[in-house]
Amino acid sequence: MKFVIRRFKDDKSFWQSFEVPVKKGMTLLDGLFYIRENIDPSLAFRASCRMGICGSCAVKVNGRPRLACETQLSKFKKEIKIEPLDNFRVIRDLVTEFEGFFAKHKKVKPYLIANTDYENPIEQLQTPEELKKYYIFTLCIKCGSCLSVCPSSATLESSLGPAALVSAYRFNADSRDRGKEERLKIVSESFGVWRCHSAMECSEVCPKQIEPAKAIQLLRRETLR
Amino acid sequence: MGVMSWFKYKSPFGLAFAFQRITGIILLFYLILHLCYLTSLQSRELYETLTSITVSRQFIIFDSLLILCGVFHGVNGIRIIIHELGIGHELRRVVLAVSAIIAILGWIIGSYILFMALGD
Ligand code: HEM
Ligand code: SF4
Ligand code: FES
Repeated sequence: MKFVIRRFKDDKSFWQSFEVPVKKGMTLLDGLFYIRENIDPSLAFRASCRMGICGSCAVKVNGRPRLACETQLSKFKKEIKIEPLDNFRVIRDLVTEFEGFFAKHKKVKPYLIANTDYENPIEQLQTPEELKKYYIFTLCIKCGSCLSVCPSSATLESSLGPAALVSAYRFNADSRDRGKEERLKIVSESFGVWRCHSAMECSEVCPKQIEPAKAIQLLRRETLR
Repeated sequence: MGVMSWFKYKSPFGLAFAFQRITGIILLFYLILHLCYLTSLQSRELYETLTSITVSRQFIIFDSLLILCGVFHGVNGIRIIIHELGIGHELRRVVLAVSAIIAILGWIIGSYILFMALGD
């Protein structure tokens, strides 16, 4: 199979083709490792878990973001086009800058804010129904696919983007959390929930199918209460 | 990236978003033009001469395109509003398909009514 890869080196960008022998069960990530180990050791890409958990390996495949480790090569015909994610600054080849993305995530306080008494800790109980309200949104692996296709994030860099808003909703919908007001204040600012124009591209590309667009709308409703 | 990034859609939903913007801008542009046109019709003679040009078979293609823009924008707008209420996200493909069918039917019916009303 022909891998056509968009490479970025020393401020120059160019397309380069590699021929990769494909075996049954091989993933796109396996293909990239094959190139690095057998053809061009300078090919840069990011990966860690190889099992769809760490969110490092998202790249644009034939125009659509996918997790390289979860993408079977048998899905494609003779040629496959691989590029780094849009809306992120490219560091080299397929590796993009994620600092800004994580900073946005951090901005919404993505942790339980609870009045815990650390001297006399008690168990924080939750019913299965309460868990169900936000469980799906805990599955986000911060792969950045959603932000890379969001037209709002493309036109306004400071826009928080789907993943951060998903996190905000995830913690706000958690019955154990006491930080709702703080978070709602942050996401109602001009770079927050009101930047969404419901293009729904995020929900279409999310590899965990967590419907970020829905989380944003539910969060929006909360800010109006 | 600017305006061009509106068109870097990956799915029919992104395309609908781009069309919503464009049709919205066209409608706004048309509304302004329309109001300028109407306010310029200050006498009966002027009214009759100008409307005899614009209310005619030659212009029906523009009228029909305007109906398409308006109907698409309205129907797709309602689709967006439904999802913005947090409803139907899991069924979004069906909702989009139904909206597209309603928009096309509305366009055909609207154009037909206009065509009939125009007579000869
Ligand atoms: C049936 C009536 C209408 C409905 C239901 C409707 C609904 C909507 C919706 C939901 C949006 C998307 C907002 C967003 O991107 O977040 C929108 C955008 C827009 N609409 Fe309308 N609209 C209607 C009529 C009009 C008319 C008559 C005009 C022009 C005079 C207009 C101009 C615009 C413009 C310029 C936009 C682009 C703004 C944007 O993308 O954010 N709309 N409309
Ligand atoms: S919401 Fe989905 S697409 Fe976005 S970062 Fe999380 S897992 Fe990736
Ligand atoms: S390598 Fe971890 S998600 Fe793909």
